[in-house]
This record gives sequence, C-alpha cells and structure tokens, in this order.
Amino acid sequence: MFATKRLSKELIKIKEHLPPGISIVKSDTLEEWLMDIKVLDENPLYLNQTYRLKFTFNNKYPIEVQFIELPTTSDTPRPIPIHPHIYSNGIICLDLLSSAGWSPVQTVESVCMSIQSMLTANSRNERPPGDQDFVSYNRRRPRDINFMYDDDNV
Amino acid sequence: MSFELKEKGNQLYKAGDYTGAEEMFSQAIQKNPSEPTFFSNRAITRIRLENWAGVEQDARAAIELYGPKNPTSLKSRYYLAQALLGLQRPQEAHEVAIEAYQASLAARNAQSENLSKTVLRAKQQIWAAKEAARVREMNGTLANVERLIEADLQRELDDLQGQLDRGEIGQIGFVEDQKALREDADKTLQVVRETFAIASKGEVQERVVPDYLIDPITFEIMHDPVITPSGTSFERVAITKYVEQSKADPITRIPMTVDDLRPNYALKGVCEEFLNKNGWAVDW
Repeated sequence: MFATKRLSKELIKIKEHLPPGISIVKSDTLEEWLMDIKVLDENPLYLNQTYRLKFTFNNKYPIEVQFIELPTTSDTPRPIPIHPHIYSNGIICLDLLSSAGWSPVQTVESVCMSIQSMLTANSRNERPPGDQDFVSYNRRRPRDINFMYDDDNV
Repeated sequence: MSFELKEKGNQLYKAGDYTGAEEMFSQAIQKNPSEPTFFSNRAITRIRLENWAGVEQDARAAIELYGPKNPTSLKSRYYLAQALLGLQRPQEAHEVAIEAYQASLAARNAQSENLSKTVLRAKQQIWAAKEAARVREMNGTLANVERLIEADLQRELDDLQGQLDRGEIGQIGFVEDQKALREDADKTLQVVRETFAIASKGEVQERVVPDYLIDPITFEIMHDPVITPSGTSFERVAITKYVEQSKADPITRIPMTVDDLRPNYALKGVCEEFLNKNGWAVDW
C-alpha cells in the first residue's frame, strides 16, 4: 500500500543526491532498481571495481524486507565482490537484509551505504564457509534463511 | 430474491460494468430497503461512476441501517467521506473521516489506513479551497487597482486635451505628452502586476516539508503521530503495521507492542498547524 508513494519519494531524493561511490543505474519501474557501488578507499580487494546491486520491490515495502542481491546474470555481468559474508551466487548475508534485522526506516540509499561500508571494512580474501554447497543447494529467499552471524567483526 | 440481485450486481461490478451493477443494486433496494449492504454496494459502485451525490445518499442510508456505532459501518463512512470530497465539501469530509478514523482505530478495523489517507486528503482540499479564495480576492483587488490607474490616466489625458483645445500647448507637444502619459501608466500597471504575482506566490516559493513532520516509514507528512519507547515518532497506521508484524522497535530492535505507542500531541499540533497553512504538503 505504501510502496508506490514511498519509492517515488525515495527516487526523487536519490536523483537529487547520492553519497560518493553510489549511483543509480535503472529505476524505470517501481518493481526493480539497479544500483552501482564502488569502494572508495585503497582496499586492494575491491580496487577499481564497480558492483551492481539489484533491488526487487513488492507492495510490502518498506514494512517487509525486500529482495536485494548482486545479480550474476545481467546484460553487463559484474563481478561478485569477495567477502566472508557474500556468497558467490550474489546473495548477501547482512543482518539488516534479514526479516529479523530489517527496519522500515532503512532506505535504498542506506542499504547501499551499509553494503559499501561492509566491503570497505573487510580485509579477508575469502567466501563464507560452505559457499559451494550453499550455491548448489539453496533455493530459499535470503530473508527466510537463518544465517548465523557468528562473526561480528566483518 | 433481493440477495440474488445483489449477487448479480457484485458480478457486474467485478466485471467493470458499473452502470449494470448500479441497476441491480437499485432493484435489490426496491425489494428490500432495509438491507445495508445493498446501499453500501451501490455506494462503491457510484464512486466508480463518480456520482457523488448518489454516493452520499447511499452511504448515509447504509450507516443509518448498520447503526453508526457498528464497526461494519466504517466502510460506508469511508465512502461518505470520499463523496463529500467529490462534492467539494472538504470540511464535512474531514469531520466524517477523522471520526471514522478514531472509531476504526478503536475497533482495530482494516479501514484505518484508507481513512487516515482520507483525513489528509480532506486537509489538503480545505487548504486548496482557502488558497483559491485568497487568490480570487487578490485578483479582485488587482482588478480594482488596474481600474484606478486607468481612470487616473484618462483624467490626465482629458486635462491634456483641454490644454490643447484652449491653445495652451501645440499639437506636437500634445502628442508627445500623450505618449509619455500612456507609457507612465503602462509602467505602473506592470509594476503592480508583478508585485501581485510575487505576493500571490510568496508563501509557496519554497515548498519544503521539514523532516521532523515526515513519517520515516511512508515518507509522508504525519497527521496522527505516535512515539515509540525509544523516542522516534511515526504515523500511527504505518508503525502499527510494522510493529504488529515484527514486534520490535524499528530503530533499536528492542521488543515492543502496539500498546507501547503513545500519541505525540505536541508534534501533532505542529503537523496540524503546518498543514493548515501548507495543504500542498499532502502531495509533496
């Protein structure tokens, strides 16, 4: 119910101003937006790379968390950043993207910033444990998965 | 028999044949004029047809038959508020909507969200009506001032004509002075028109709603703000929807229930005052 108006307002704000390293790629419908993220410091893991985020919205937004991923199949394929909380199929394990961690005061912009800073802060050149199995077997939506946040330092 | 007609009406309504549906509900009402659902169904059909006077009649009849205290009447009260908006009676629409909104909250009725929006819509229309009257008044004043300037010019031109007739000035001087007077008057008119244009836009030059009046969930201006235990204010309908589902404070994630929400009367007053002067904020 809220979704359309809220998203159009976010879009107006985003088009006026976005933080450095974040840009909007596609927003011609209110169902799917593409955003690009760059890590701004000298972190060698992500140097000179641009990562693409896909937001898929339904009318439960912003009450319920939406599907947010790093798409592996798109017209211009982008790399999936190496990170102990990002699976190689583009699924991001981040507290605020789970049903329990989501808050309706989050916005597309704040989610992008969280992911950007999650990359900035990381120095470990590795995938989450069990990445291969997860990628092969998981068919669930990220918000339904009970990720273990056993490592809060990343 | 009458309920069969209603069923037919419902089917036509779903199929988008509103005129046909209206006819069925009318026949049902003729057979049984004490069944409220016939009236409320015809009311929503007439909303589709934008027959606002008809909606008002039907919604009032349905509310009467349900009994105004009956939560089932809330939908019809929502229709009634819409009809009054359609009929350009925003003050009445606001009264109906706000009362029904309160009743809907008390009954935890599903109409709260619609009614909440209607309250805002009514506030917007009340402001728009006031604004239109103000502009009309200004235009009236402008027309008066323009008339005075023209009258002034005419008098001066007549004087000039008199001077020419009495031989006090020559033909060439007359034409030159005549031209100068006309130019002066035109300049004055232009200044006055510009001034009025600036004045009528004056209040709307910067149309920005302060962030503290905006609900962090819907991003819309609030009209019934409530505050969470952690101290953030939200629009009641929006935060209720979230807390019912997540049972936690959206900022701190500390467990909470809808009963922990408290009205924020001071903020409500600020929102009201802002909306009275800036009805456009509803569409911002």
